[in-house]
Amino acid sequence: MSSNTVRLNVEQASYAYSAGERQAPLFTLEATSFQARSRELVAVLGPNASGKSTLLRLIAGTLKPLSGRVELDGFHTSQLEARTRAQRIAVVQQESPILFPLRAWEYVLQGRHPYGRTFHFESEEDFAIVENALEQVGAKHVAERWMDKISGGEKQRVVVARALAQQPLLLLLDEPTLHLDIGAQVELLERLRHLAVRNHHTVVVVTHELNLAAAFADQVVLLHKGKCLKVGPPAEVYRRELLEQVYEAPLEVEYSPEGRPRVSIRGGKEIGLGSTPAQVV
Amino acid sequence: MRRMTFRRVLWVCTLQAVVLLAVVVVALKLGAVPISVTDLVYSLGRVAIGHDSQLPSQFQVIVFGLRLPRIILAIFVGAALSVAGAGYQALLRNPLADPYVLGVSGGAALGAICSLIFAPEIPLVTPAAAFVGATLTITAVYFLGRRQGQLDGSTLLLGGVIVASFLQAVIMFLMTTLAGRELRGTSFWLMGDLSTPSPEEIGWVFAVGLAVSIGAIYSTSADLNLMLGGENEAIHLGVNVKRVKLVVYVAASVLTGLAVSVSGAIGYVGLLVPHALRWLVGSDYRILIPASALGGAIVVVVADTLARTIAAPTEFPVGAMTAMAGAPVFIYLLRRRMR
Amino acid sequence: MPQKFLSQAARVCVATALLCVPSVCAQTSLGTPGPVLRQFTDEAGRRVSVPVSPQRIISLAPAMTETLFALGVEDRIVGVTDFCDYPPAARKKPRIGGAINPNFEQIVALQPDLVLAQALTLNRRETVDALERLGLTVYATSASTVEGVLESTRLVGEVTGAGQRGEQLVTQLRERLGRLKQRLEGRPPRRVLFVVWHEPLISVGTETFLGDALRLAGAVPVVETEQDWPRLSLEEVVRQQPEYLVFASAHEQGVEHLLAGLKQRPGWRDLEAMKHHRVAIVSDAINRPAPRLVEAIEQLARQLHPEAFEEKEVTGSSQLGLRPMSSATATARNAGAGTSR
Repeated sequence: MSSNTVRLNVEQASYAYSAGERQAPLFTLEATSFQARSRELVAVLGPNASGKSTLLRLIAGTLKPLSGRVELDGFHTSQLEARTRAQRIAVVQQESPILFPLRAWEYVLQGRHPYGRTFHFESEEDFAIVENALEQVGAKHVAERWMDKISGGEKQRVVVARALAQQPLLLLLDEPTLHLDIGAQVELLERLRHLAVRNHHTVVVVTHELNLAAAFADQVVLLHKGKCLKVGPPAEVYRRELLEQVYEAPLEVEYSPEGRPRVSIRGGKEIGLGSTPAQVV
Repeated sequence: MRRMTFRRVLWVCTLQAVVLLAVVVVALKLGAVPISVTDLVYSLGRVAIGHDSQLPSQFQVIVFGLRLPRIILAIFVGAALSVAGAGYQALLRNPLADPYVLGVSGGAALGAICSLIFAPEIPLVTPAAAFVGATLTITAVYFLGRRQGQLDGSTLLLGGVIVASFLQAVIMFLMTTLAGRELRGTSFWLMGDLSTPSPEEIGWVFAVGLAVSIGAIYSTSADLNLMLGGENEAIHLGVNVKRVKLVVYVAASVLTGLAVSVSGAIGYVGLLVPHALRWLVGSDYRILIPASALGGAIVVVVADTLARTIAAPTEFPVGAMTAMAGAPVFIYLLRRRMR
Repeated sequence: MPQKFLSQAARVCVATALLCVPSVCAQTSLGTPGPVLRQFTDEAGRRVSVPVSPQRIISLAPAMTETLFALGVEDRIVGVTDFCDYPPAARKKPRIGGAINPNFEQIVALQPDLVLAQALTLNRRETVDALERLGLTVYATSASTVEGVLESTRLVGEVTGAGQRGEQLVTQLRERLGRLKQRLEGRPPRRVLFVVWHEPLISVGTETFLGDALRLAGAVPVVETEQDWPRLSLEEVVRQQPEYLVFASAHEQGVEHLLAGLKQRPGWRDLEAMKHHRVAIVSDAINRPAPRLVEAIEQLARQLHPEAFEEKEVTGSSQLGLRPMSSATATARNAGAGTSR
């Protein structure tokens, strides 16, 4: 698979939620299109209730688009059988509840489930993959520890390791930086970029963190109230007027020496990278 | 990293099987009528080879016609209840779930009571009617427990609890208003009782139902491990959550229905045996299911043997034994969780 | 490789267990050997083959034990329930557990050639079925009237080879009932409430032998129902104002104590019968479908219609005697000493 071919093709995909069958839709995601290749990191950006989660689910294949299509290597994601889909798409959700106590390596081992038969017990190879995944996220030192006893950052890394253990083509992350401090946030995104390049993944990150997205994404999909406003490299998408319209706040866009945009509140206050959802960025 | 392998499962199960065998031999020896161990082992050996056991005829009837069938039934009931409990705990994602929480035992009780009132003279009718009652309840609760086309844990729990209390009310009503002459012994049955010998056919039907249901649940055990971490997570890891929930629901409910139809509602086994085994062998359902089955079998055989020997010739219902032992254990477990 | 060996071993174990089953099943019937059998259809409609003179009889009900003693076959009784307490000699017999949940092992170990059950009012159908499957001979009675009880007694006599004694006994009992009927001729029956239990208030229905016994004692229930053990509304009973309250008890003091407590309670204190202490206490025999039932009926009739018993007795039944109402229990005891012969 050459890195130039389009892997993920979202073409005019739309969706609508309604309370009942014949009732008016409560929320609509309008036709959205973008494409992603291997080794690319795409950020789906927007404030709350912009349709990001819906788009994520359409990509993950758990929702079927009302119109348009979502294809991964030519296959409709919503039509794939659960097992096959799990071998190609790995999803990291916002919350990972753990009901019964579990060690980190057991958690990561769950990522091998899509490859097992019904009465399957994991093989040496599966274990090698688990070790490798933990190493790639820098969490090998917590392998034997219980999941409810490790720090938030370490837990997040283990969750990503599980996604890696699935050996997917596509890695989807829903607000992975929500509960992390600045350092951990940057570290996570850096690692994701690195993994994308090294393992030829396509990574799609749903986030509302403007500056993180700007710093690490190859492409940005900007959503606002169910509409896709713009798709493109950060430099193109981060237009002041556009961002101000979406975030409803006075903003200023500057450019780093590498050409990456940086957003701050107009009036000179630099808004840090580790901001909470209550603030605008 | 210690992985779950087939070998480990086999070792644990073999160990439990050995314990079970020892318990069975002791249970065969004990009873209102004393039988020596040597006689017993000798005759068991002969029977296993296919010869006549050489015991005097009334001892033969006691050992092979009374105790052994009763022990076998206790094994089945213990295995059924424990696996059903483990299954419901995964399905409802609630460690406090027991096999009766969804109303299956109420339905079986109602079926049994109706059969005692309306058709008292035909043998085998009572357990059959109990099972029919259980099946109808399973179906009704299934429809109540659905949300957006598939079973939903909390909706199921709510529906089940409501159905259970409704059935209880109907049972109370019937017991107070109807004749009463056919309802003697109902209190024993409601507590859980293995003291009346059952016809052989019941044993066979139970064995088949047990094997099929446990097999079905076991086939989803890897999926269940994942579902414990959340349904969405499981879906994303390739589990067909809708199908797994249906299979586990039906299989666990059938197991409960079988157990209750035969022995009434023996309590605490389905709740505590999976817990105890989780503590001993871990939460992986690939080992928890067979271990629970064997563990439950051991517990019910022990409880039943105690029930019939502690104050011989008076017999307690086996449910009384499990409740007396189970309640303190349950309290202990709750307190550990709260710490 | 250990894994393979273990799964092989598992397979062998399962196979052995499965092979055991048929041979085990073949050995589970006692079967009655040899002697001459007579065919009966018992009162539950079952066909039973009983040896001509059963020598090892087990009784599954206290009333049945009493009946057997009354028929004179007590030497052939080898097992009774924990609750068989009359006559006192019955307490010395080996025990086989309760009536509802008997101990099957004990029963089998005693090797009975006849087991007697009281089907309608006490023993369970499952118990009878299970005993049958074990190869034992079970004969069940089922009486819902006093006449039915007498007939059961006669049939049990026949089945146990005491047919003559049975006929005699039943004829005597019928005569007594006949005389009682004469005495009560023309007297309006008393309206009564038979209290099985006071809280909740449970009485007895007309379709039971107990209900029939009340009728023969010259009583009519204030609330008539077909349910066997109806729960009645105290309000309704107060509205009906029964003339007498009837209690069955083995100990008179127990009932007096109970009444003292009830007298203060709402509802109960509004009953005329309670206020004027029009209470009849009858022996526990009224609960048992056995020969003593007749004597309990007489005892009750005496308390409800004392005027009918004021003339002197002429013939044989001197054990009845004339006693005032308050020593009803004493009468019962004296009468009791006379019936088992």
